[in-house]
Amino acid sequence: MRLIAILQTDCPTCRLMAPYLNALADSAPVSAISQDGEDATREFVRRMEIRFPVERDPGFELSKKFGVVTVPTLYVVDEQDRIVRKEPGFDKIALNEIAAMLGHAAVASPYDGAPASKPGCSSRHLEVQTSDPGAEALDLHSKRGREASVIDLDEDAVEYCYRMFGDALPVVPPTVERVEPMLAGLDRREVIARIPPCYGEATVEKIAANAVMAGCQPEMMRVLIPLMRAVADERFNAHGVQATTHFAAPLIIVNGPVREELGFHSRQNVFSNVARANSTLGRALQLVLLNIGGARPTGIDMSALGNPGKFSHCIAENEEENPWEPLHVDQGLARDQSAVTLFAAEAPHGVSEHKSRTARGVLKAIAYSLATVWSYRACMGFEAMVVLCPEHVRTIHRDGFSKQNVREFLFENTGIPLRCYEEPGEGVEQRTMYKEIFIDGERCYQKFRAPDSIKIVVAGGTAGKFSAVLGSWTVGPRGSQMVTYPV
Amino acid sequence: MRIVNPMNEAILEAANPALRLTTLRGKTIALLDISKPGGSVFLDRIEQRLRTEHGVTTVIREMKPTFAKPAPAEVLQKIRAADAVIEALAD
Repeated sequence: MRLIAILQTDCPTCRLMAPYLNALADSAPVSAISQDGEDATREFVRRMEIRFPVERDPGFELSKKFGVVTVPTLYVVDEQDRIVRKEPGFDKIALNEIAAMLGHAAVASPYDGAPASKPGCSSRHLEVQTSDPGAEALDLHSKRGREASVIDLDEDAVEYCYRMFGDALPVVPPTVERVEPMLAGLDRREVIARIPPCYGEATVEKIAANAVMAGCQPEMMRVLIPLMRAVADERFNAHGVQATTHFAAPLIIVNGPVREELGFHSRQNVFSNVARANSTLGRALQLVLLNIGGARPTGIDMSALGNPGKFSHCIAENEEENPWEPLHVDQGLARDQSAVTLFAAEAPHGVSEHKSRTARGVLKAIAYSLATVWSYRACMGFEAMVVLCPEHVRTIHRDGFSKQNVREFLFENTGIPLRCYEEPGEGVEQRTMYKEIFIDGERCYQKFRAPDSIKIVVAGGTAGKFSAVLGSWTVGPRGSQMVTYPV
Repeated sequence: MRIVNPMNEAILEAANPALRLTTLRGKTIALLDISKPGGSVFLDRIEQRLRTEHGVTTVIREMKPTFAKPAPAEVLQKIRAADAVIEALAD
């Protein structure tokens, strides 16, 4: 058995597929057919670090013979050159089944940050042809964005940028001299993502210009690039998060060694004005969403009350005070892998509990705050993030709770008494779908859909028994899903 | 001072609004429910009035699977046949 993949060099789904094919090629016979010209193919092999042979298909003879409609398409071929399986597009389950057919271990983890599936692009030979149908001519489809224009200013740059590009805070003018060092080792015209809701192209250069405005240092580009991919991930649904009338704003949670390398702060004042890395990364994301994504607070961003996090919303996890696995490990990444996670969050709601000396007491206080998320009688349509402060964590851990125990305790102890549902109002009509449970002997509707709806992060200073609860926007495949990307 | 333009520079092509209908009589009207609570109640009443008071002959009822995301292509395809669309937004 061998695997043949038909690819295009500028197809985002083919690029998504490339590392998985590399993994398969370590011990299975893998080859690919590129529908593009020699230069583009060579560049694709170099940039994607392809470790399997790639042939070209001038005149699309092979593509026509295979009858390919979509790229990528994977063909599993047996010893008699018969096609035994054909798989168009990117699909993790199919990839792992193909890996098994080739006698290879699974290559696609559900938690590696890539989507479960993604449709491909149409095969070149089916595209509308120009007068010159040669593959070289079609390299015009290359995913290079336009170079950013340069604006010559003879007025005060801070005032100009404030008026034209910023939100309501002044920004650092993105001068050519300041933007240039951000681009070191990068291709300025590479399109990293298309940013909802207007789907502007976030080229490396545009990201860098916004990062400069936010006050980022050049090394922040290594975090910003995966962050842009995360915010454009369809599962996160930035289109909805940025346009909703609700309070949600993307909250960034930073994990792993990059915290120390770039100076992300995870202790006291973690949600506020404590570190340049936190504040500028959060601000850079907001400026990109505004200037490239187009969600202006006086226009498409329709939030009724807004969220102070729309200036900057970035924390790092205090992994050092966390006796359990940190968030990115829950999400399937290795502990020493740096990562960024995005959660469509409301502002933090404080939970003070200074008197209780037991895990149960602390978690009960948190459960009562969780019960008010979204609206007190609404259940199941949302998630919540619980940010535990180190002092609370110590109490909870001392009583023998694992992180999963914490999630399950909060799940089982958060509910709304049935007696609250006599008057009509939000969440009342849907109660036939809710689950009835007993909490301390009282009949309640269970607040959350599952223990996993409650995300646990440890952060904050070591003095003060203050944790926080953050509600989410509408969640799941029909709303926004939390996404984690490796850095 | 020279600054790098940080904005989306894609040129958006302006589209003319569709011609307004001069009558509803004999027309096909699509009613799009974005799946927010109450949308169906509003559109049921609109449908009834379009048929009984305005002589609309055909009503296409379509629903987005979620209000939180853009309408999928198949929903847009189905309402394309209509002379006009009424969309029920919000709660």
